[in-house]
Amino acid sequence: MKTNDVILQTTSKVVFFIIILFAIHLFFAGHYHPGGGFVGGLMTSGAIVLLLLAFDIKTVAKGFPIDYKILIGVGLLFAIGTAAGSLIFNVPFFTHVFGDVYLPLFGETSLHTAMLFDLGVYLVVIGVTMTIIQTIGESE
Amino acid sequence: MAFQILLNFFLAFLWMFLQVSINSKTFIIGYLIGLILIYGMRRFFKTELYVRRVFAIIYLTLLFFKELIMANIDVLKVILKPKLDIQPGIFALPTELKSDWEITLLANLITLTPGTLVIDVSDDQKILYVHAIDVPDVQDAINGIKESFEKAIMEVSR
Repeated sequence: MKTNDVILQTTSKVVFFIIILFAIHLFFAGHYHPGGGFVGGLMTSGAIVLLLLAFDIKTVAKGFPIDYKILIGVGLLFAIGTAAGSLIFNVPFFTHVFGDVYLPLFGETSLHTAMLFDLGVYLVVIGVTMTIIQTIGESE
Repeated sequence: MAFQILLNFFLAFLWMFLQVSINSKTFIIGYLIGLILIYGMRRFFKTELYVRRVFAIIYLTLLFFKELIMANIDVLKVILKPKLDIQPGIFALPTELKSDWEITLLANLITLTPGTLVIDVSDDQKILYVHAIDVPDVQDAINGIKESFEKAIMEVSR
């Protein structure tokens, strides 16, 4: 008994973009407003899980050919690299710097190295969540 | 349609750069000028002017809100009636819409207007199965949906 999932699939294809945009917004809002790497990562994996529910594992794996286990490693590298970068400048481990940088289009933007650490957290959360879900999903 | 909108945006940006004032006011003026130019060139495009389709989308939205309010009042009447004399039923709604997003839009519009609810789409996407809270006359319900929503969606995607 195969059902026709056309409504679910079309809707999830549209909603996916909205969820991803909201996740990125949460990720960048983390410094001054509620949000941050953890929530953004969970929201992003939530969007991918929605696609997994609407389609099947093989289709989504074709759409995003990412090994999520590698993503965990990359995220941890970001975190440790941000922390270890402070050692080069003779300041204690995990010292963060920030400053106002003029970017084209954005104008005066205050950049903070904590954001790079947050990016690491973001990638690790996506990697861990998706690894757990895919491992459970693939085991018969 | 998409090409015409892109062209209109391009003309608006061109106008902004020609005026050397990058703000929304200049953009709107440039957009209107581009619209007039595209209207003048309308015989050279393969497709018709996109303005009619934009109006069709607006009409569909307004129609949806109207139907939403009317149908909610209908369901309120059914709920507040002391005597329960409704005739619930499931009927098959043949549809002429083809593409995925048209079917999805029609199904969502039917579901969001209370009293009717899409429960399934057939495999060949020609029939929608609709559950209705009160259908004294099936043909009436089918015609009602066909007349309002399907025609409006056809107007958009034609």
